Amino acid sequence: MPPDISVRQLVKHYVVPERAGGLRASFRSVLRRKHRLVRAVDGISFEVERGEVVGFLGPNGAGKTTALKVLSGLLHPTDGQVDVLGYTPWDRRAEYLSRITLIMGQRQQLFWDLPAADSFLVNKAVFGIDDAVYKRTVDLLTELLDLGDLLTKPVRQLSLGERMKVELAAGLLHTPRVLFLDEPTIGLDVTMQQRIREFVTAYNAETGATVLLTSHYMADVKALARRVIVIDQGKLLYDGALAGLVQRYAPHKTITVHLERSVDLPDLNGQAEVLSVEGLQVTVRAGKDDAPEVTGRLLTQLPIADLSVEDPPLEEVIDQVFRGDGP
Amino acid sequence: MRILRIVSAFLRAAILKETAYRAELAGNLLRSVINIGVAVGGLAVVFSHTSELSGWRLEQAMVLLGVYYLVQGIVQTALSPSLNEVVSEVRKGTFDYVLLKPVPSLLLSSTRRFVVWHVADVMLGGAIIAIGLIRLEAQITVGIAAVFVGVMVGGVAIVFSIWLALTTLVFWFVRVENITMIFQLFFDTGRYPVEIYPFWLRQLLTFVFPVAFITTVPAQTITGREPLVAIWLAPLIGILALLAAARFWRIGLSRYTSASS
Ligand SMILES: Nc1ncnc2c1ncn2[C@@H]1O[C@H](COP(=O)(O)OP(=O)(O)O)[C@@H](O)[C@H]1O
Ligand SMILES: [Mg+2]
Repeated sequence: MPPDISVRQLVKHYVVPERAGGLRASFRSVLRRKHRLVRAVDGISFEVERGEVVGFLGPNGAGKTTALKVLSGLLHPTDGQVDVLGYTPWDRRAEYLSRITLIMGQRQQLFWDLPAADSFLVNKAVFGIDDAVYKRTVDLLTELLDLGDLLTKPVRQLSLGERMKVELAAGLLHTPRVLFLDEPTIGLDVTMQQRIREFVTAYNAETGATVLLTSHYMADVKALARRVIVIDQGKLLYDGALAGLVQRYAPHKTITVHLERSVDLPDLNGQAEVLSVEGLQVTVRAGKDDAPEVTGRLLTQLPIADLSVEDPPLEEVIDQVFRGDGP
Repeated sequence: MRILRIVSAFLRAAILKETAYRAELAGNLLRSVINIGVAVGGLAVVFSHTSELSGWRLEQAMVLLGVYYLVQGIVQTALSPSLNEVVSEVRKGTFDYVLLKPVPSLLLSSTRRFVVWHVADVMLGGAIIAIGLIRLEAQITVGIAAVFVGVMVGGVAIVFSIWLALTTLVFWFVRVENITMIFQLFFDTGRYPVEIYPFWLRQLLTFVFPVAFITTVPAQTITGREPLVAIWLAPLIGILALLAAARFWRIGLSRYTSASS
């Protein structure tokens, strides 16, 4: 089976007029506009198989939204090939648009003054969904998202999180096969973020839909995506298992030892740094390459009750990747 | 069929929305009635000093005013709400959701919103036309009525096209409200027959910004006055304007999709 999403050497550049400061400069720029090229997406390639959930990571301005817009047909790329479900997205064929969805956490499509159910009926007509299928879908979404009576209250009366839930439902009424989710949890409180995550997992399991999602909450990524694609400044930095990202980019390991009794610490040869000493528990940090040697020395020179070696938290790893001083 | 279903879904939502604000609804209706009452009163005042205005009698001018409100009502019920929505959505970034729908964007963009109470203008306009015609004791044959409807449809097509073209500018300039205000300014000249305006303005209103086709020509056809221009020009220009505006929309859209925000 061919992959659901196939992206080859995708490039999207924006041409933006230079904003000149000062009145005189503004006048001049009206007469002779200066332009600047923003390389939002600069040659990325990847594939996503049917049913995969892939996290699309990168700092602000990395080009995630731009890439999702190209994939969903909103933007023409500057260069490169994209194939989603056998379609070229920016042809915006009706059959294509009926099979995908793009849900943007910061942009709402529901009528503000009406209950979501009324907006749903509009989408039902627009997508030409027949009654039985529509009812089944709404029931499924109501169950998975725990919508309860949210659909009958005017959208403006809903909390941010409740609104996101009904927005998600609105974007899924036509049971798309491929979901592009751009920051679906942005601005939500922790519990609601978790609800949304659980929903995506359940929805993926239930429908087998392919999901490509961006988020800058690490918790989202950890919970949802076994595979991540990391981009920065429009370039692909990493594509693979989440665990591999840590292996590859974590610059150091954290070694925690429990001592049997209180003793002086041995000389660590500058290979490790003591992070904390709390009673009999000592935590040190060592470079990835030095970690085995440091561990060995600790084991031979200290009365050790217990020892563990851990990777640093994912947040730190990602930070490291984005600072660009990883390997 | 599909299109009808889509439009009726939007219409249903619009009616629900309007009735959710019943107090406003009543206020708006009242305002419509007052506006039109004042306009008719104004005509009566003008014609109390003269029996003819550039060859138009009071009853004929009334019919023209009725046509003006009829068209204005149609525009404000069905056309401008949708197109204004485009402007605000492009600014907010939610216009993307229109492009994500499996329906031609122009169709969706121009049928999405209705402001139902403006139908009052349509009905009051129709009533004024009827009163004018009765007082003229005009003989309206089926033929004349058909020509009138054809000319009106052409006029509405012209209005829609101009409005659409102005809206399309939003893909280049994010602020276009001022432009739609200019439209209203020109459109308001349609309350009176173009013959009352000085030569240069009449030319402008006939050939550049064809308000003449929207009110003067339909009113002429039905009141039996000699039409300003050949009447078949009205539907023809209507169709050409629609085609041109649709083409311009596509150009605007391709600009949007080459760099949306
Ligand atoms: N419509 C646009 N016109 C010009 N530049 C843009 C536009 N949209 C995004 N950009 C720029 O492209 C880069 C990538 O933006 P974006 O795709 O929104 O990144 P992300 O979603 O990863 O934060 C940024 O530098 C941003 O300023
Ligand atoms: Mg973004």
